[in-house]
Amino acid sequence: MVGDTSGSAIRVAGLSKRYGGVAAVDNLSFEVRAGAVTGFLGPNGAGKTTTLRILLGLARPTAGQATIFGQPFTALADPARTVGAALEISGFHPGRSGRNHLRSLAVLAGLPSSRVEEVLKLVELTGAADRRAGKYSMGMRQRLALAATLLGDPKLLVLDEPANGLDPQGIRWLRDFLRALAAEGRTVLISSHVLSEVAQTVDDVVVIHHGRLVDEGPVERLSGPKTVRVRSPRLPDLAAAIERAGAQVSRDSDALLVSGLDAAQVGELAFAAGLQLHELAQHSASLEEVFLELTSDEPKAEDQGAPA
Amino acid sequence: MSRVLRSELLKLRTTRTALGFAIAGVLLVLLVVLVTTLAGNPTTISDKRDVLSIGDPLSVVLLLFGVVGATAEYRHRTVAAGALIVPSRLRLSIGRMVAYGLAGLAVGALMLIVAFAIGIPLLSGESGPSLVASDYERAIGGSLLACGLGAMLGVAIGVLVANQVAAVVGTLVIFFVADPLIVAASATVGKFSFGDALTAAGGRGTMHELAFGPAVAVIIAWTLVALTLAGWVDSRRDIA
Repeated sequence: MVGDTSGSAIRVAGLSKRYGGVAAVDNLSFEVRAGAVTGFLGPNGAGKTTTLRILLGLARPTAGQATIFGQPFTALADPARTVGAALEISGFHPGRSGRNHLRSLAVLAGLPSSRVEEVLKLVELTGAADRRAGKYSMGMRQRLALAATLLGDPKLLVLDEPANGLDPQGIRWLRDFLRALAAEGRTVLISSHVLSEVAQTVDDVVVIHHGRLVDEGPVERLSGPKTVRVRSPRLPDLAAAIERAGAQVSRDSDALLVSGLDAAQVGELAFAAGLQLHELAQHSASLEEVFLELTSDEPKAEDQGAPA
Repeated sequence: MSRVLRSELLKLRTTRTALGFAIAGVLLVLLVVLVTTLAGNPTTISDKRDVLSIGDPLSVVLLLFGVVGATAEYRHRTVAAGALIVPSRLRLSIGRMVAYGLAGLAVGALMLIVAFAIGIPLLSGESGPSLVASDYERAIGGSLLACGLGAMLGVAIGVLVANQVAAVVGTLVIFFVADPLIVAASATVGKFSFGDALTAAGGRGTMHELAFGPAVAVIIAWTLVALTLAGWVDSRRDIA
């Protein structure tokens, strides 16, 4: 099932797409490691779907190129067995049953009908397979879309906002499902505008905003620097003790935020200085906070030349 | 290509669209046969041929069937699902055309059975000359060809326009407004319009229309032109 997992599964180089005077994707370059689960992140309108459509040969780029296992999608010898993609949940006829939708795709891909039953079972949709897809709930539509991506047992999965419209149970199911796929060694590229939906699943992230690359790399890199939040009735004395230890201190309302020391070290310093503590907590900026900062349209202080 | 064709035939069988058009076709055939027989008082050989020449009215239904089927792929965004398995959109379009052409033939055959089952007994009670074997052959051949080719041309138009409402309205306007205007302005030019060619191939021969063979050739030419244009436009179109 899973082929070579070394190198890049996806390579996007200098990709641009303009609609009239508007740049949906602007000189975008990134790579997706084979065998990794990569989150393709950005706010709504960042250019994620446009990028995926170009990658999958559904849209033509204005400039640049996107390749899958070294080839443009349209040049792949057996696309269904190489890439499974779910770009939107409405990609089926509302009057056709889920099973027949999958059967039509299986026939097109030259796959046996038994494979349809297998993927229906995988996404837990067998019981509703003969109902018309137009009557499906949002979660069932997402499952049907996922079933379609899995028909060819592909090495690479490209999923565009698969958690859109799902309730918490649906998101939990999706997370477990993606984890299972990742455990099989598949490469997964999953786009989302909500980092928390994919943060627990992805190995790497590619963050774009206004069609441009903002950050890419292992998801850990998006974690902000660790700080310690500490409260004491004698804050000035505590701040002075911490600064003498070489750490940096900033004021946050009635507490101090300490960077350069961990919680245990701050506690020991306070104890040594005879200072009472009312709160001592390790704190790090959440992935969501870092993501929002990366994709914020507010100019950063350093960009304006203001003191940090 | 066989995979594309089989998939398209499966898609045709698994929605109610084809059934809906088939029912519309039956009703239209019933109406045409009953009206032309009971109200038209067919006593001449030409009148009697008209009763069984269902390819003319039915080809419009099949043309719309093709238009609706092809544009539904864009409307419901299923066109992307197919292109993710077979990236050649032209191959998909040709497969869809062939599938709809076969469906058109099947619907045409069904309608012929209905028309003959009702029309022949009714005509037997009419005065005047009787239809001969060549008349039946012409009715069968013309109706089947007009239905099959009409559905194929409809698919090509649907792929070309993509927007379902625009394609259906545009087709109706061309068929019922533009074509008659062209014919009125110049019968020589008008007989080469696809509407007139469908009418001519459908079995109702009139003075100014093309003969059967040239009419079929004109429909095939229109279908190929529409397919070529559709293929060119579709290959440059971003699929939403």
